[in-house]
Amino acid sequence: MSATREVKLAQFEKMLRMRRFEEMVIRLAQLHEYIGRQHLHIGHEATGSAVALSMQAGDRIHTTHRNHGYVIACGGDPGRAFAEILGRKDGLNGGKGGSWHLCDASSGMQSTSAMVGGSIALATGAAFGLKLAGEGKISVAHFGDGTLDEGVCYESLNLASIFELPVLFVCENNSKAGQRPSSMLAAAKLSDVPQALQIHSVTVDGADANATRSTFAEAANRVRTTGKPVFVECTLQRWPGSHQVKAAFPTGVTDLALAFQPDRITGQHADWIKRFDPVLRSARSLVDGGDAQRDALVALDAQVCEQMEVARAFAEASPFPDASAAFTGVFA
Amino acid sequence: MPMMNLAEALIDGLIWSLRKDPKVTIVGRGIAGHGPEHYAEDRLKAEFAARIVDPPTSEAAVAQLGVGAAMTGLRPFVHYGTAVFAYEAWNQFINEAANVHYMSNGQLKAPVTFHLFHGIRGGGGPQHSGSPQAMYANNPGLEIVLPSGPRDAKGLIRAALASDNPTIVIQHALLLGLTEEVPEEDYLIPLGKADVKRRGKDVSVIACSRSVIDALDAAKLLAAEGIDIEVVDIRTIAPLDVDTIVASVRKTGRMVGVDESYEICGIASELIATVSIHAWSSLKSAPIRVARPMVPTPFSPPLEEAITPGAAKIAEACRRACAQ
Repeated sequence: MSATREVKLAQFEKMLRMRRFEEMVIRLAQLHEYIGRQHLHIGHEATGSAVALSMQAGDRIHTTHRNHGYVIACGGDPGRAFAEILGRKDGLNGGKGGSWHLCDASSGMQSTSAMVGGSIALATGAAFGLKLAGEGKISVAHFGDGTLDEGVCYESLNLASIFELPVLFVCENNSKAGQRPSSMLAAAKLSDVPQALQIHSVTVDGADANATRSTFAEAANRVRTTGKPVFVECTLQRWPGSHQVKAAFPTGVTDLALAFQPDRITGQHADWIKRFDPVLRSARSLVDGGDAQRDALVALDAQVCEQMEVARAFAEASPFPDASAAFTGVFA
Repeated sequence: MPMMNLAEALIDGLIWSLRKDPKVTIVGRGIAGHGPEHYAEDRLKAEFAARIVDPPTSEAAVAQLGVGAAMTGLRPFVHYGTAVFAYEAWNQFINEAANVHYMSNGQLKAPVTFHLFHGIRGGGGPQHSGSPQAMYANNPGLEIVLPSGPRDAKGLIRAALASDNPTIVIQHALLLGLTEEVPEEDYLIPLGKADVKRRGKDVSVIACSRSVIDALDAAKLLAAEGIDIEVVDIRTIAPLDVDTIVASVRKTGRMVGVDESYEICGIASELIATVSIHAWSSLKSAPIRVARPMVPTPFSPPLEEAITPGAAKIAEACRRACAQ
């Protein structure tokens, strides 16, 4: 097995885990209404998996509240992540954070800020700390196009540039014309903005696993070798369920077989499923390129689904924390 | 009188403001929230689309857009959604808007209204459950309005937009669906006038926003036990109607202060200070505070419940006050 093939399959497995995790979150949200509104990472798997593959032990990522994918891609335990989303005792944050604040520092998933503009500034600070530590580690800032609406975004980019901080800025641009866009920016190309601040910037199709994998490998390597920031804009076609208030499967439960039978894809969102679903695109690409057999991918998927069922059972069996826990841990 | 929920009454108040004053302009969207009452905003958009702007997620600049425009004579209504988003505009609220009139020695005024949803709302977690009323109240130059129901919300929003001062209207996120009879016609409720929402003789529960509703629920629990509480809704923290508060405590001799802002330097504490200073000689027992304890708001339901002021905690405080 060539190294490239191994990496491709590792990325695909991450993507499948990310997708099946989110689908389970939708089911949990339907069963346990109290967990509220979820910000799902469906459609962004090719980006998140590639970012995670480019990270090394000791690197740190700060995310926005569209964070589940990164917890899983970084290797976080899905059972403990589900438990946190359910507010249970065995959750990653002991139930105190919930979906919007998942963190798993031991796997590099440093923190989630649910405030627009939060993660980009924190990651810039992390890069300052990691630079002074002198061990060659980098920080990753995950954010959406909406972050560029915020003043703190420009301040952070400028700081990273003038202080020469090792930050990999990952902008998931899923602004969509037609609906209300998630950002309102006069700049036509988001990567023009950091470019003006002397930050090396590139744009990539965020749903193309092969493109994101090579782009992020190169970008992370550049941050490591130069010690300077790099900005990657990932263009994404927003998943139709991205802003769901009520938990639902607008594009159905993912059927991997559709990757090889596009004619079977029907319905209102057929175009998104056919052209923009990164999991189906990746499966097709692996088979067409001779890197995997269909049956092997379907078998892997069954395995991942089974793991998510086990994780879900763990989370649902976990009790709520005792109410007294509300009053502990305010100070270190 | 028609029945309206708080979201509908708020929008009705805004529509009257827009009709009556061509200087009123709306900045923001989702004014009726994103929950089941969101439809209420459609009326506003249908009648006044040309006087509404939908800004990007730029809280600080949007606040200053409002303040700067207000200084030219416009009366902007700037909506933030969840109150914590306006933390990004802290400087613009307290250091710019609040100071303009004073530091220009009266040459300028900033009649801007900021609109926020505060409070523990079920699953908001540490970053989306903030109640910043006390933090704002700790600054001179800002009027701070906390309606507890639809009728007040309509009249107070009219007064906020008619005021020549920067005004922060803070709605509780869980009150948007609360329904009562609301007058159809135009009316203003003056800022700085408290409202006694329930007459009683044993304890004065002094509260604002959702805590008023909790206090009225507590009153029902306590009535069965023979404890008759008075519920005073302060309606505005600044200006504060000291006279109505003091008159109530002089009558009952006991006081419980309630609000969702934090215990330390919070609204409940300020109400206790006010009563202690002005009605000390009438107090038969020590004032009691029901407020949010000094911990971030946890996500997990039983933990959130543990830190939420509510009817049961208010009732318990009233029993303690009467036992002294």
